[in-house]
Amino acid sequence: MSVGFIVVIVIVIIVVLMYNSLISKKNQVQNIFASVDTILKKRYNLIPNLVSSVQEYMKHEKSILEDVTKLRSMANKPNLSDEQKIELDAKVSSALRSIMVAVENYPNLKANENVMHLQRTLNEIEEQISAARRAYNQAVTDYNNAIEMFPTNFMASMMHYRAKKVFEIQEAQRKNIDVKELFDK
Amino acid sequence: MKSLSEITDFYYTNLHPVLKELEKRRENVKSRILMVFGVVLLMDFMVFSYAKNHLDWLFFTNVAILGFAYKFLKQDYTKEFKDRVIKPLISAIDENLNYSKDEHVQEFKFISSQLFATTPDRLEGNDYISGDVDGVGIELSDIHAQKRHLDSKGKESWSTIFKGLFIICEFNKKFSARTLVLPDVAQSSFGDLVGGWFQSHNSARGELVKMDNPEFEKKFVVYGSDQIEARYILTHSLMKRLLEFRKKSSKNIHVSFIYSHIYIAIDYGRDLFEPSVFKSLLDYKVAMDYVHTLYLAIGIVEELKLNEKLWSKI
Repeated sequence: MSVGFIVVIVIVIIVVLMYNSLISKKNQVQNIFASVDTILKKRYNLIPNLVSSVQEYMKHEKSILEDVTKLRSMANKPNLSDEQKIELDAKVSSALRSIMVAVENYPNLKANENVMHLQRTLNEIEEQISAARRAYNQAVTDYNNAIEMFPTNFMASMMHYRAKKVFEIQEAQRKNIDVKELFDK
Repeated sequence: MKSLSEITDFYYTNLHPVLKELEKRRENVKSRILMVFGVVLLMDFMVFSYAKNHLDWLFFTNVAILGFAYKFLKQDYTKEFKDRVIKPLISAIDENLNYSKDEHVQEFKFISSQLFATTPDRLEGNDYISGDVDGVGIELSDIHAQKRHLDSKGKESWSTIFKGLFIICEFNKKFSARTLVLPDVAQSSFGDLVGGWFQSHNSARGELVKMDNPEFEKKFVVYGSDQIEARYILTHSLMKRLLEFRKKSSKNIHVSFIYSHIYIAIDYGRDLFEPSVFKSLLDYKVAMDYVHTLYLAIGIVEELKLNEKLWSKI
């Protein structure tokens, strides 16, 4: 067997391994995004219940409630790109947080069992979403590294792979955002 | 649960009369052991000229005699020490805890923790503590798990899988996947590149889960059956607390999260809560060894904030 033949075989093996690793990284991102999406939907499904429970009391915050409902219907539209979903998630997160902060100003509402239950469920879903975001970001980081690093970057550009966006865990999330200001922009 | 300084106070004040009494017994045991040692030495001198060609045999006989004598002479003293010092100390830390000096965490629980890849052929232990701290169920004990080996000649030997403290606690989140947090041996011995490759190819333990805390990643490696659930359990704050706990115990720790429980194995490499023979029980270092270790183990509930009930478990 000639040396040239061996070299060709080795190159073929390397190319196959690189190709497979890129595919598996891309699939990992897709798989995890599917789970993220499921959990996000769980939260969207809570919104109508939340809005109907609090709107009677929250006369001053009517616009936030309308905005949240609007965001929900936007999120339910088909054919949204991953990037759009990520953006919507950020907006919904801050809007929901402002509603929860506003609830604190209404003692009747705070003591309402239905609202308390919703609050608990939302908190639990928030924890799950935060875990899903972190898992997604790690998968995207691995994927982005592979398509930018040598030598997989050549193959990635041949396969038309583009870098993906991560969920930004903003410092602002820890603060209470004025959602009105967010929408008036 | 009382504070560490309260427990230290309790050791030196409430237990002082008992400790003084036990000190006399300790001196007694110590002198008897030294006597046996003297006799063995004397015998060695006497038989030395005959046993010159069998020094290995002589050595093993010495070790066996001394080991047996040490255990035998210490027996009653150990029993009394555990009943009169360790037991009250545990009740003082939290009165909802029970102590049994001869029992240990059951073998099936040790195996179901999945912390160690090898199933033990022999599992021994003692100093079993169980009950609840702040409403969180906890059980722990000393465990020595061993594996049996047979060489080609059929000669039997035993190797240690784990020796140290084994703790099981209820966890405050519901989950169905399995998550393992193990000491990062590969990355610390082979570096990021080679070690990282080893980690990602250890498929027997599950999928590698890369965590977003660099310090945590340096000390531990995480495997899990679900990438999202692993992060649902290992929040940023829990990772920080586990690092802190590792620092406090200054030992390698193995942690697993299975069936809504947390399993922790702390690699002490020795039997804990045994009475000291050659050092005084009133010695600060000796006292602190008992108090600190107990406090660290039982304090896990507060340290990891397992008593903070989360929404999912209400």
